Amino acid sequence: MIAKLESLERELDMPKLLIVDDEIDIREFAKSYFRKRHIEVYTASGGVEALEIIAQEKPDLVLLDVRMEEMNGVDVLKKLRESGNNTKVVMVTGVKEESTIQEAERLGVTGFIHKPLILDELEKIVLKELKSNS
Amino acid sequence: MINLFSVAGVILFACCIVLILFAWSARRSSIISTWILFNAGVALWGLAAFIIGSTSNVVISSIWWRIAHLGIIFIPVFLVHNIVLICDFKKREILLKLIYGQAIFFLFTLFTPFFLGPLKSFKGFFYLTPKILYFPFFFIWISLVAFSLVILFQKTQTSQGLKGNQVRYLFWALLLGFTGGITNFFPVFNINVYPFGNLFISLYCLTVTYAIFKYRLLDISLLITRTTIFFIVYAFVLGIPFFMAFGLRGKLVELFGYEWWLVPLATSTVLATTGPFIYVYFQNRAEDRLLQEQRRYQATLRQASAGMGKIKDLKRLVTLIVHIMTRTVRVEYSMVFLNDIHAKKFRLGAYRSRQVRMKFRSDIDHETALVRVLQETQSPIVYDEIKQRTQDFGDLKLARLEAELKAIDAALVIPSFIDEKLVAILVMGAKVSGKIYSSDDLSVFSILANQSALAIENAQFYDEMKSTHVQLLKAEKMATIGTLADGLSHQINNRLHAMGFIAGDALDTLKLGHNLPMSLEVKEMILDLEHALNRIESNVQQGGEIVQGLLKYTRKDDGSIQDVALDKLIEAALEMTQFKIKPGEMSINHEYPSDLPKIRGNFTQLQEVFFNLIDNAYDAMMQRKAELKEANYTPTIKIIASGSINGHLNVLVEDNGMGIQEQDKEKIFTPFFTTKLSSKKGTGLGLYVIQRLIEENHSGTVVYESKYQQGTKVHLTLPAA
Repeated sequence: MIAKLESLERELDMPKLLIVDDEIDIREFAKSYFRKRHIEVYTASGGVEALEIIAQEKPDLVLLDVRMEEMNGVDVLKKLRESGNNTKVVMVTGVKEESTIQEAERLGVTGFIHKPLILDELEKIVLKELKSNS
Repeated sequence: MINLFSVAGVILFACCIVLILFAWSARRSSIISTWILFNAGVALWGLAAFIIGSTSNVVISSIWWRIAHLGIIFIPVFLVHNIVLICDFKKREILLKLIYGQAIFFLFTLFTPFFLGPLKSFKGFFYLTPKILYFPFFFIWISLVAFSLVILFQKTQTSQGLKGNQVRYLFWALLLGFTGGITNFFPVFNINVYPFGNLFISLYCLTVTYAIFKYRLLDISLLITRTTIFFIVYAFVLGIPFFMAFGLRGKLVELFGYEWWLVPLATSTVLATTGPFIYVYFQNRAEDRLLQEQRRYQATLRQASAGMGKIKDLKRLVTLIVHIMTRTVRVEYSMVFLNDIHAKKFRLGAYRSRQVRMKFRSDIDHETALVRVLQETQSPIVYDEIKQRTQDFGDLKLARLEAELKAIDAALVIPSFIDEKLVAILVMGAKVSGKIYSSDDLSVFSILANQSALAIENAQFYDEMKSTHVQLLKAEKMATIGTLADGLSHQINNRLHAMGFIAGDALDTLKLGHNLPMSLEVKEMILDLEHALNRIESNVQQGGEIVQGLLKYTRKDDGSIQDVALDKLIEAALEMTQFKIKPGEMSINHEYPSDLPKIRGNFTQLQEVFFNLIDNAYDAMMQRKAELKEANYTPTIKIIASGSINGHLNVLVEDNGMGIQEQDKEKIFTPFFTTKLSSKKGTGLGLYVIQRLIEENHSGTVVYESKYQQGTKVHLTLPAA
């Protein structure tokens, strides 16, 4: 019981990362990867789900894919900012999308990462942002 | 009293007055002035002959004989003056002084008793008798006329074209006229021949008048034939009834009694009615014979005109036109120029020449005198005529036109009009036969030219439609490909992205297990797996780069226009190539002046252009190196640039690479066409993108020339700042 509580407490201390991507493989493997680094990982397959999780779990950092089926990343970001939420967001863009980048910058994003991305690099960015958070 | 002498006199007077009026209406020149004076002299003689012939008063006759000699004395003087001007006779100053001197001398003696004697009765009127001075006067008179005719005859032998034609007219007219004129002297020297010759002088007037009307373009042989036929036919038409009425009157009265006059009347009616038909019949027969050659090619040209509308290929059409012109008419050369509205020029569409070499092969500017005159007059231009008029009137505009025609060696220029629009210009050299272009020729050529205009416009329209169609298809294809490439690359990118994550996570998992106890074999296996996963990651990255590169071309960038220095541009382009091209692999020579103007354009796009050009050149040179294995081969790119006067920069990028094979030359600007062996090396979009960036975004041009196994040159023109 105590051990469970301890682990819960540890979990509460753990930085929270939300990965928003409509690719199940990305969600699965990114989650597996960051978990091993003691990061609590949430995943969302779309904008609506992502906004819910952000409201509930208050993640420290959101990795937000730009191009998604249901609602695109920029719209998600816009909705988030409109609700007065200033959570750190790193946009994951596909091929260079100038207009998207400009729009996202206007809405205040922490950074951009471009697909395809090697996990080592992603780790550096995420860890840097999470560290600067605490 | 009316007699032949007085009637001929009045006819002559009238004819000469008409001639003078014609000459008067022309613009003044020394040739025209002396010509008018000469005719005034002849007119005065005609008037005097009329009065002398019709009066029975010896005093009036005596006065008019002296007035007549005012004219007679000056007739050869003005004639010689006129002829030496026409023939451009050298040393004419002294000659003219002498001639005018003798005329003035005889003018004075005219009123002394040493020139004319008392009048004698002759065939019902009074004729002059000569005194001592009349004999030298007559001798000089005849000599001057003979002199004029001789130098004019010499001129007919050396002149060609229009001038030659004119001179020939004049010669024959004067010969006729003076042959007649001489008869007026017969009674003076007691030769008992009636001075009928004044009629011949009128004939001379008619000849020259006709020549003035159609002077430029009628064959002299034709004119003489026509006149002769006319005289013979009408001698019969008028002569037969006349002969019946006077010569056969007795016989007719015997046969028909009081109604005898009905016979000559009926005959004259019949002959007068049939006369014109007979005349036309003989004229046609004679002309068919004389103009056989001309008729033949005119028929061919008419047929060709009719067939032309069917040809849709412009190049073939214009080639056919010049072919027809040179072959059927036998001219030295012919050319067709087609209007290029955008370039404000008439471009040489086709030419054909009997000689191998063509002197002139450039285009005709819209601003030339030639084009302006064609637009104004809408009728053919004959070089000889322009030359003649230039000499006669010294008009500056004509002189310019003459110079332009001379520069292209044109004998005849025919405009090709559709309504008011000058579609094409046909230019022809002289006829091989040396004959002049007749007015019949001009009308047939004009028909051909206007048929050509229609056919040319048709063909141009067809061409335009075809190329629009091709462009539409191409655009459609590109749009489809663009959309497809866009969607495809996103999908591929996402797959690569996911693969990267999967490989990365698997790698991570393996690395975390390093500290677990395991056997050596397992450890080795894990290292192998890690290596494999690393390779997957690096392949993912490479794949991502290819997708990025591909998409660069289908996307638009900001398109901002600024002043760009060429060396900065090339520096930036070389920077882009540094991953591929190792230092020392090739040399780059820059050859451009330090004050080279900057380019007005978009830096990123131009960088892309030069990157692609250098990249292509490099690949071509590496291919040559690999395939030809030449011993002393140094791959070299030359970049040569210069400013030009019309606000453009000319840039030449030259390599000594493999060059382009003939069969590929048409396709190199086609999207997705590549000759580069490995797909990693080329997307097939490079040149297509260059062309689009330069032509559409910079209103420049890109042209290349290439020799297989020698190298390629790409010429760019770009707007200067």
